[in-house]
Amino acid sequence: MSSESLASYKAQLKANRLGLWLFFASESFMFGGLLAARFYLWGNTRPDLDQLLGLIVTSILLLSSFFMNRAESAIAHDDRKTFLNSLLITAALGLLFLVGVVGFEWQGHLKPWDGVYGAVLFGMTGLHALHVFSGVIIILLIWNRGRKGGFSAERHWGVEACAIYWHFVDVVWVFFYPALYLLGLPVS
Amino acid sequence: MKHFVIASVLVIVVTVLIILGLGSIDLVPNLASAEGEYVDLMFRAQLYVISFIFALIIVFILYSVVVFRRKPGDTSDGPHIRGNTTLEITWTVIPLIVVMGFGVWGALHLSEITAQEPNELVVEVTGFQFGWRFEYPDYGVNSSELYLPRDRKVLFRLTSTDVIHSFWIPEFRIKQDAVPGLWTELRVTPTQPGDYRVRCAELCGYAHSAMYAPVVVVEPDEFQAWLEGQEVGTPTPPEDLTPVERGAQLAEQQGCLSCHSIDGSTQVGPTWLGLYGSERPLEDGSTVVADEEYLRTAILDPGSQVVQGFPNIMPPAYTFLSDEELAALVAYLESLSD
Amino acid sequence: MTVLSLGIVRGLAAQIVGTALGMGLVVLVRVLMGLHAWEAEPATVVGAMLGTIFFMIGVGSMNDWFRWARGEATPIHHGPPEGRPSWTRYFGVDYSHKVIGIQYGVTAILLLLTGGALASIFRVELAEAGRQFLDPAVFNTMIGMHGWGMIISILLGIAAFANYLIPLLIGASDMAFPRLNSWAFWLNVPAALVFLTSMFVGGWDTGWTAYPPLSARAPLGMQLYFVAVFFFGISSIVGALNLIATILLLRAPGMSLFRMPIFAWGVLATSIIALTATQLIALSFIMVMMQRLLGMGFFDPAQGGNPILFQHLFWFYSHPAVYIFVLPGLGVISEILPVFCRKPLFGYKWVALSSIAIALAGFLVWAHHMFTSGMASFLRVPFMFSTLLVAVPTGVKFFSWVATIWGGKLTFPTPMLFVLGALSVFLIGGLSGPPNGIVTTDLFLHDTYWIVGHFHATMFGGFVFPFFAAMYYWFPKLTGRMYNERLGQLHFWLMTPAFWIQSLGQMRVGLLGMRRRIVDYDPALGIEGGQLAVTIAGLVIGLSVLIMLVNLVYSARRGRVAERNPWNSRSPEWQIPSPVPEVNYPDGLQVIGEPYDYGLPDSRYVNLQVAAAGE
Repeated sequence: MSSESLASYKAQLKANRLGLWLFFASESFMFGGLLAARFYLWGNTRPDLDQLLGLIVTSILLLSSFFMNRAESAIAHDDRKTFLNSLLITAALGLLFLVGVVGFEWQGHLKPWDGVYGAVLFGMTGLHALHVFSGVIIILLIWNRGRKGGFSAERHWGVEACAIYWHFVDVVWVFFYPALYLLGLPVS
Repeated sequence: MKHFVIASVLVIVVTVLIILGLGSIDLVPNLASAEGEYVDLMFRAQLYVISFIFALIIVFILYSVVVFRRKPGDTSDGPHIRGNTTLEITWTVIPLIVVMGFGVWGALHLSEITAQEPNELVVEVTGFQFGWRFEYPDYGVNSSELYLPRDRKVLFRLTSTDVIHSFWIPEFRIKQDAVPGLWTELRVTPTQPGDYRVRCAELCGYAHSAMYAPVVVVEPDEFQAWLEGQEVGTPTPPEDLTPVERGAQLAEQQGCLSCHSIDGSTQVGPTWLGLYGSERPLEDGSTVVADEEYLRTAILDPGSQVVQGFPNIMPPAYTFLSDEELAALVAYLESLSD
Repeated sequence: MTVLSLGIVRGLAAQIVGTALGMGLVVLVRVLMGLHAWEAEPATVVGAMLGTIFFMIGVGSMNDWFRWARGEATPIHHGPPEGRPSWTRYFGVDYSHKVIGIQYGVTAILLLLTGGALASIFRVELAEAGRQFLDPAVFNTMIGMHGWGMIISILLGIAAFANYLIPLLIGASDMAFPRLNSWAFWLNVPAALVFLTSMFVGGWDTGWTAYPPLSARAPLGMQLYFVAVFFFGISSIVGALNLIATILLLRAPGMSLFRMPIFAWGVLATSIIALTATQLIALSFIMVMMQRLLGMGFFDPAQGGNPILFQHLFWFYSHPAVYIFVLPGLGVISEILPVFCRKPLFGYKWVALSSIAIALAGFLVWAHHMFTSGMASFLRVPFMFSTLLVAVPTGVKFFSWVATIWGGKLTFPTPMLFVLGALSVFLIGGLSGPPNGIVTTDLFLHDTYWIVGHFHATMFGGFVFPFFAAMYYWFPKLTGRMYNERLGQLHFWLMTPAFWIQSLGQMRVGLLGMRRRIVDYDPALGIEGGQLAVTIAGLVIGLSVLIMLVNLVYSARRGRVAERNPWNSRSPEWQIPSPVPEVNYPDGLQVIGEPYDYGLPDSRYVNLQVAAAGE
């Protein structure tokens, strides 16, 4: 690799990082809007949801962030095996989270058309789940490229972007979880 | 400096001319409410300030255009002036003070306009597509016309049965949305007896433009007389009514009378007085006789037979009427031709 | 060369296939779920969404990303496509910011013509009282189509100039993310088609604001409108992201933020709003969409929902949106004035920071659209104060412009005329604003034609006039030829007085009681003369715009060949040949002075011989 192309890669990397964070700034407004809607419509109440399920899916998602982080630091040290394995674990945990939300929470007594509780619950978890799902797809794409020998300790912007995105989606849930499951008085 | 002085004098002259010009025309409809006084006062004050700022900017620009145009053959640049911090601070701070002053003044006015009073007349207003209902809960009176006594503060409590409407009488100045699922409030003290119109100010669908209701402001004793003349008490159940009575009730409830008069006057739609059995000239040039068949079609599918001179704005929304209700309406119309 | 080698043709074909597939998918799922097969709403929504995605794949705007995902190399190709005529690059994916700028510009003008045609039609309807020829449902659809058609035309028009000019002005070779740039443009094409289709599937009778519950019960066209706005919004967000990154990272050596051409400040401020606030209009529309599709009762009072919430979410974007529309235009005014006054821009830093101040204040004022809405009444006073604050930075801009003009050596070619016209029109728009910001007078003025007059004056003064000024000003740089000065002057002298009549006429009838968005009005108001004047003025404006188009199209082919720097400007783009060559600044660019030091002898803004000087 010539020094010049490395320099242009570094410049592009800087732009990419800024672009990604601008994207998060943008997305935060959407998630913020959903949170605002939640507090506007629910006020000091919340639906009576399965607390254990909430705790489990939240733990799964937090755990997945740990493995995502491990994958990123592994590729930075050229440890390809750990990198690929951690990616797969992250994707699996992400899918598990989706199973928890879509397969269990959504099958509960509350449906989207059940008043504002159903509407907001499905609106928030739905848009978040869509982001988790897209994150899983991206992880699998990155894994596929990594499997074929893509990425290196010097050049792994794709992995980095994927990791930061995953953490971002995770952080969003850190705000959503208390807003849905903890704050306010439960009404059934 | 010479230029600056001339331009400044011109600014004052132009300001005065604009204010005089605006003062010589009727800018707003006649005022008919006490709350509107605050609105008009504030608006006039704003117009003075606006006239001054407008003159200030426009005169300086036009003066420059005339005086500072480049002379033929001159290829040099203008003076190298990058800015002046004192000036910038001045024209930041002064407008800031002016607008904040207006803000404080506006807030004070707002609290006057929204102030409560003992002995308010409560009127519950319900907007619907495409008309208004008025209920006087203290008197048990229901009406499609808004009767108001002069010089008594009215508390309008507004809601809507379908979409958002906005309750506005231009002569009263202030308006308030009627939102389904909510009660909103507006306080108005009518000051001028006369006939006005409620005009829906929020796009509410097909016949939004024709969503009017008549408003009559009268002296307090006339208002009392009107109240007493209105039917008081619980309405008779529909099955106990004759078809004509039932039709009259439906016409009221469904808001037909917002657009169709029963006294021969022309409103948005054709009057119902003498309609039944008459010859109707249609828009395509043909004529039909307004028999039962015609009237039923006209209610269910208003666009199919449009009468000359009247726009086709009746909502094709009355298909929910039952056969019995249609028959009652037709009977009622027939009774208006006797 | 076959027709299918044009990206846009492939895209359109793919969009048709995608739409059909999406509809089929819904039918299939419904059959599998045991429901009756055909339900128009979900089928239309999914069809429109999938169709748009298919267009993006078909046009080829995602090819490089697919290659990247497969681990293949994706070098950027510069210059016109190989083996095909160079005009074909405008009809397919091309990563040059100049090509994308032109693509944006042409699309913007097409939508401008659509919106203008709709306005002309319903203005004729409104010329006199009584219903002439428009069905109210059609009228209601047309006002919404006019509204959003113009909004998207403005957004694309801004993107056109931002894309073309920003890299040139800041001395960059291209945008920070060329692929994303092209993707953002192309997204507008299928979205525009979905948007136009909405007119033919029942329309939508809510106006562009789409307030529920009315929008929750509007015809099917409503859903297509929501889908279209959603994609327009994504495009706007992505475009803004790209512009911010470009301005922050790709400036030439020596170009500090306060040495940027002032237009870049306007674009930066606009992009900050577009990047963030746009999410909220998308969210609010999607919530109504889901209310219609799944019965999610966000705004349905019967389910405990609240229509006021929609207005909060909607205006959180849609008020700042007007600052999105005007800030670049105000930047154009600040950019062009010094050139034709031969004086430095007065108070550069104040003008630059006032743009940012307007943008930031814009986030705090949305509820002034809701003074009559029935929101909690204690909110009215704080929002009145925040709204009035916007007047202060706007005033700073005005005073600075006047000070720039004062004592200059003024010349009046068409671009300068349009800048002066913009000043006069934006002045009316600006001054008619505070009465709407003060609650008491707004309770009177809200939802009347006064607002329509105010709003159109800000849009024309803040965008349309500056946009036309920019078209004439940079036309030689874009095409290498001069526009026809006489036709340009004719355009100006028709449009400006007509606009004044239209705007003041609208305010006049509004004060007399003319409500917004009505197909017919009460002749008792005594406004028929005013209405007729507004209609005639509006038609004259339309005619003058057609004159401009004739002028530009003709001059692009037959006009006098332009020199490098016909305006004797200091800005870097005028120091290179016209039209701009494929590579903007082959020898680099270094900033060695202030951008607007007109009248300072022997000063220069940029040095374009960096490479040569270094050897």
